[in-house]
Amino acid sequence: MLTDRNPWRLVLPAAVAGLLSLGCNQSGPPPADAAAEAAKATHVLTAEPAGAKGVADVRKAAKDGDDVVVVGRIGGARQPWIEGRAAFSIVEPSFKSCSDREDDNCDTPWDYCCDSLETLREGMATVKVVDAQGATVAVDARKLGLRELQTVVVRGKAKRDEHGNLTVLASGLFVRP
Amino acid sequence: VLFFRPLPWEYGVRNLFRRMGRSALTLAGLALVVLLVFVVVGFIRGLESSLDLSGDPRVVLIHTLGAENLENSSVVGNTPGLLEASLAGVQRRGGAAYISPEVYLGTRVAAGGAAPGLGLVRGVTPAALLVRGRVQIVEGRWPGPGETLAGRLAEAKLGGPAGATAVGRLVAFEGREWRVSGRFAAAGSALESELWCPLDDLQQAMKRQDLSLVALTLAPGADFADVDEYCKERLDLELQATAETDYYAGLQRHYQPVRLLAWLTVLLLAGAGVFAGLNTMYGAVAGRGREFAALQTLGFSRRAVALSVVQEGVVLATAAALLAAVIALGLVNGAAVRFTMGAFALRIDGAATAVGCGVGLLIGAIGALPPALRAMRLPVAEGLKA
Repeated sequence: MLTDRNPWRLVLPAAVAGLLSLGCNQSGPPPADAAAEAAKATHVLTAEPAGAKGVADVRKAAKDGDDVVVVGRIGGARQPWIEGRAAFSIVEPSFKSCSDREDDNCDTPWDYCCDSLETLREGMATVKVVDAQGATVAVDARKLGLRELQTVVVRGKAKRDEHGNLTVLASGLFVRP
Repeated sequence: VLFFRPLPWEYGVRNLFRRMGRSALTLAGLALVVLLVFVVVGFIRGLESSLDLSGDPRVVLIHTLGAENLENSSVVGNTPGLLEASLAGVQRRGGAAYISPEVYLGTRVAAGGAAPGLGLVRGVTPAALLVRGRVQIVEGRWPGPGETLAGRLAEAKLGGPAGATAVGRLVAFEGREWRVSGRFAAAGSALESELWCPLDDLQQAMKRQDLSLVALTLAPGADFADVDEYCKERLDLELQATAETDYYAGLQRHYQPVRLLAWLTVLLLAGAGVFAGLNTMYGAVAGRGREFAALQTLGFSRRAVALSVVQEGVVLATAAALLAAVIALGLVNGAAVRFTMGAFALRIDGAATAVGCGVGLLIGAIGALPPALRAMRLPVAEGLKA
């Protein structure tokens, strides 16, 4: 029974609840800031661009400087993000992530660790959201509302090198619901 | 302040000297318990500080994509050149880039005629000294062909006899003998438990051409993300960049259960100490019923008597804590300990001293409380007849 003589009975649960709520807040989405909001407004599309092709197809066909619309899932590594920048890796959507496979309890299913690196490489691309000057936007991609294994459609220019790597210099991206 | 007249401070202290044998034994027992607490806390602090000091925020490690640890990593030999040509944000001085190609492995090392122990070996070039800015050669010189530079704690890591990695001695690993050309210190970091040898020699001995990792130093104003972006764009190289501080923070997380276990040991030791204190103070109180009753007839309250008993316990425990602290600082501080990740020195720093002495005081106070309460409960008339 709660009485005025037992103030700790009130204080202790309140303190525990406060600590728990602090912990919950820490695992939530990062606070939006002005730069992130600006980047969202200019680069996150409200409608899906037409003519999207999978990463593997674009890797086969696109040449350096081509305009491309690529669809892929965010992942391909345990840490697909580039810290503090609007850049990340995407994987061919037909590839199965660890969470798409039965009996796989991988903690980081977006790293596609069930596929060999050679296989994965053929269906991977790097996306860099760039500004008008072509520089990577200095806002962490997660602050644009992106998360691992989301399917994104990216519109931009292909940057190819002699080793077959594909980087998409993105002017806009759309997150498939 | 206390709302009662306490017994004179000297009374409690003199009582300890009235039972010299019992007090000395209790002092020794408590000192031993507190010393063990110092050793365990020194272990935790040593492990933490070794890993804290090991990461340089400007150093980036490039290794194989997805490698669980650096020993399993394998990057192609031309990676350092590629990075030097491709990355603008690498520190340079006098035309030399701060890029250190390295082979890193844990292997059997025989030293000083003892049975081979697990040692940590790093094949390096002189560029390692540019990137590992904390490394200082404290004796001898940089290793030439067939020679090795031994870290200050390499001997402890190998578990060999004293002087096993002294300058001029031979150590054997990877099917070869290597003469120790010098010894190095690295500000207490994990590097100190390693043996460094020329990269080419180690590659020849191991019949491998690849590297384990490339360590580089970022130029002022450069960002880790520049290197990370390069590695993520060059998918064909299968490289991954890890900030050195993140690498050692990962090791800290890896050893978290060990640290928790060590703190649990501190708790158990403190508990054992409390029981030792209880036992002694019950012994000290037993048979003093008449004394306590007489004090009360002189006008001292029960609380004053109880406080005096607690004072005896706390004074004894404080003396034990101070004795243990002196022994710990003299004998335990800096002692090398072998561990899976290498070796590190036990560290009796301010925090360890505070915890050790705090536990000592706590043992004295808590251990004396029940006997003090018992002394309070005895009626005066009964006590005088005891």
